[in-house]
Amino acid sequence: MDEASYWDIPGMTMGVSGVGWVGQSLMLFGSEEQKKKYIPLIASGEPDGVWCTAYSEPNAGSDFANIQTRAVRTDSEYILNGQKIWTSCAHRARWCWLAARTDTNVAKKQHGISLLILDMKSPGITIKPIENFAGVHIFNELFFDNVKVPVANLVGIENRGWYHLMQSLAFERHSMAPQFYGGARRIHEYLVKYVRDNRYKGKPMSEDSIIRHKLAERALELETLKMFAYEITWKISKGIIPVYEAARNKAYCDLVMERLAITGTEILGIYSQVDALSKWARLMGIITRMYMMFPGNSIAAGTDEIQKNIVGQFKLGLPRPY
Amino acid sequence: MDFDLSEQQKMLKAMAGDFMSRECSKARVRQLEKDSKGYDPVVWDKMVELGWQGLILPEKYGGMGADFLDLVVLMEEMGRNILPGPFFSTIGECAIPLMTFGRDSQKADYLPLIASGKNIWSLAVLEHSGRFDVGEIACCANSDGKGYIINGEKWFSQYAHVADRLLVICCTGRQGEGITAFLIDAKKKGIKIENIPTVAGEGQCRIRFKNVRASSNDILGKRGQGWKVVDYLAQRALVLKCAEVCGACQAVLNMTQAYAKDRVQFDKPIGSFMSIQHKLVDMLTAVEGLQYLVYQAAWLISAGQKADIAVAMAKAKANEVYQRVCIDAVRIHGAIDFTMDHDLGWYFRRIKDAEFTLGDTDFMLERIAGGIGL
Ligand SMILES: Cc1cc2nc3c(=O)[nH]c(=O)nc-3n(C[C@H](O)[C@H](O)[C@H](O)COP(=O)(O)OP(=O)(O)OC[C@H]3O[C@@H](n4cnc5c(N)ncnc54)[C@H](O)[C@@H]3O)c2cc1C
Ligand SMILES: Cc1cc2nc3c(=O)[nH]c(=O)nc-3n(C[C@H](O)[C@H](O)[C@H](O)COP(=O)(O)OP(=O)(O)OC[C@H]3O[C@@H](n4cnc5c(N)ncnc54)[C@H](O)[C@@H]3O)c2cc1C
Repeated sequence: MDEASYWDIPGMTMGVSGVGWVGQSLMLFGSEEQKKKYIPLIASGEPDGVWCTAYSEPNAGSDFANIQTRAVRTDSEYILNGQKIWTSCAHRARWCWLAARTDTNVAKKQHGISLLILDMKSPGITIKPIENFAGVHIFNELFFDNVKVPVANLVGIENRGWYHLMQSLAFERHSMAPQFYGGARRIHEYLVKYVRDNRYKGKPMSEDSIIRHKLAERALELETLKMFAYEITWKISKGIIPVYEAARNKAYCDLVMERLAITGTEILGIYSQVDALSKWARLMGIITRMYMMFPGNSIAAGTDEIQKNIVGQFKLGLPRPY
Repeated sequence: MDFDLSEQQKMLKAMAGDFMSRECSKARVRQLEKDSKGYDPVVWDKMVELGWQGLILPEKYGGMGADFLDLVVLMEEMGRNILPGPFFSTIGECAIPLMTFGRDSQKADYLPLIASGKNIWSLAVLEHSGRFDVGEIACCANSDGKGYIINGEKWFSQYAHVADRLLVICCTGRQGEGITAFLIDAKKKGIKIENIPTVAGEGQCRIRFKNVRASSNDILGKRGQGWKVVDYLAQRALVLKCAEVCGACQAVLNMTQAYAKDRVQFDKPIGSFMSIQHKLVDMLTAVEGLQYLVYQAAWLISAGQKADIAVAMAKAKANEVYQRVCIDAVRIHGAIDFTMDHDLGWYFRRIKDAEFTLGDTDFMLERIAGGIGL
């Protein structure tokens, strides 16, 4: 994840290729047929192995368990109706990793949820693109009108999807620190090169002590992120199940990205507003694009507040405030 | 790098924690802040029994030959409980360079006395400016054919007032040039030592040298190579200081976390208010990040690898985190901790000592900048 992200390999970030969490989840709780069918596709890196993930709905963001999209079971299939939103890459995906409500008569809203594999070629799916404020089309709205999903596409146990989803979310969050570390490391290197190659006030920018210290601070944050990424990887490799670490890492990733993006724009100065695709863009527009995207991207996979609530409750044992 | 301690280190850690809570009560530390010596000789001797002064010294000189990482574990515990005394200056700042740069005769003369707790050492490097920089060294050692004559001042030399020996960094050329490290008897004629009163009473001293004689046998390492000695000892001593800070930060976090669960206002534990909760989470993330950077630096040193950038990162992080964590801890406690009776003040009073030991944040950032190719 670290290296793939450093080299900006398409499809590795946001988990759209299925590498981030679909593959790992299927290995853990998918059926034999599902493993045989989907894992080789994910491994192949072909378009038929591309996934999107549909959890969020208009009224179920941070409060994920609030989902209303219904999957009603008949003999051999589920009939899917409802709406998802913010589904990244749905317009490119062959499959969708979907959370739907299979039982409404439940004591807790976490119950009665199931995890389904949806074939994006099924009739009855409407994909409506949403352009983000940077002008990039990443996410979409999805509408389901009596979409048929074979019962064989149920992952794990019916109505117990919440627990599978928590595991899947854990895979997603575990992979974030290595992934963000790789990407941020590359951008930091670009900035170091940029200040060495550009002059200001008659000397290389790299000799300016304010710039030196800002980039040194960013390097220190990157190193801290690296330690967090290695720690969680080390724990998993030893069979220790991380509890709060991924949430801590996610919040820290967003802090690292924010500071790096801001420092980057300060180094590029007024050029940081030049459109990323313009011939006058500096550093191929990566800083501009990063700056335009970091606040919005920090919302994906759970906001800062939600991550801190998790750490506060599960690591520090503080009383739940809500 | 391993993210866990060895079984032996876990034992050392448990033993140290146990010792400190038994022998170094909070009441005792409070007395020591005001004590003219600034440390407890009885506790110092008990530490000798446990072999701590000699922990990383070679067995041949009465030490235990343990790994640098073991010392890091020990320092972390000392920081957690706060154990005032000349351990850091004696071991971290003086014994470590002696082990590496000392001639056999110097090692045989001095190391056994350190291991047995009989000798206390103090590093004399900073001068009136208080800045950790080679260009600031003006205390001179002039050669007169028979030997050297030292004249000048040293500031913020820790525990010099109780030290038997000093490691003095002098210039043997013009200011900032020809830096040479001398091993000097602290009781020598011409040496005057006085206490600098500080907020934490951590034994800071000013030393004045007036025509103090030294011979070439007293030089540690080579003449003119004294800053190499300083750089070498600084890397290791800094990791130890950072480990101490790390222990202190964990203690502050733990006491604040416990207080937040306990203290009720508006009929709820204050730890249930999200703003308090998120502050505590930020503290945790800061402290864990610090801990890993410190252990990475320690591990690199212990493995004999290049560590200067990792050390600079650990110190810059320690400076930031210690201050941040203490400020937030004060805020979360409300007024109760803003009293002499409360433990938090100890940790707060020590922030600036740690921050300016062997290089401040700007110094470290400059070093990191060099390390990333700037
Ligand atoms: C770039 C991007 C890509 C995305 N991709 C996908 C995707 O592929 N699939 C998918 O299913 N979803 C995706 N999402 C949706 C994302 O998971 C949600 O946006 C996110 O969970 C937040 O939900 P929300 O937007 O409804 O905000 P809300 O939940 O309405 O939150 C609004 C604000 O209230 C705060 N808040 C809410 N609850 C609490 C609480 N208990 N304590 C403190 N503060 C709270 C939040 O932190 C936030 O600041 C994506 C989002 C973005 C921005
Ligand atoms: C220098 C000084 C001088 C003072 N002088 C006087 C004086 O002359 N007269 C006098 O009567 N008092 C005085 N005080 C007391 C002062 O008013 C209280 O300390 C203050 O109101 C906080 O109360 P507390 O110390 O009990 O903290 P607590 O109320 O216990 O607060 C502890 C922490 O919990 C947080 N917290 C509490 N409730 C909430 C909430 N609902 N939401 C979010 N966070 C919360 C607080 O912000 C704080 O961080 C003084 C205090 C100081 C430090």
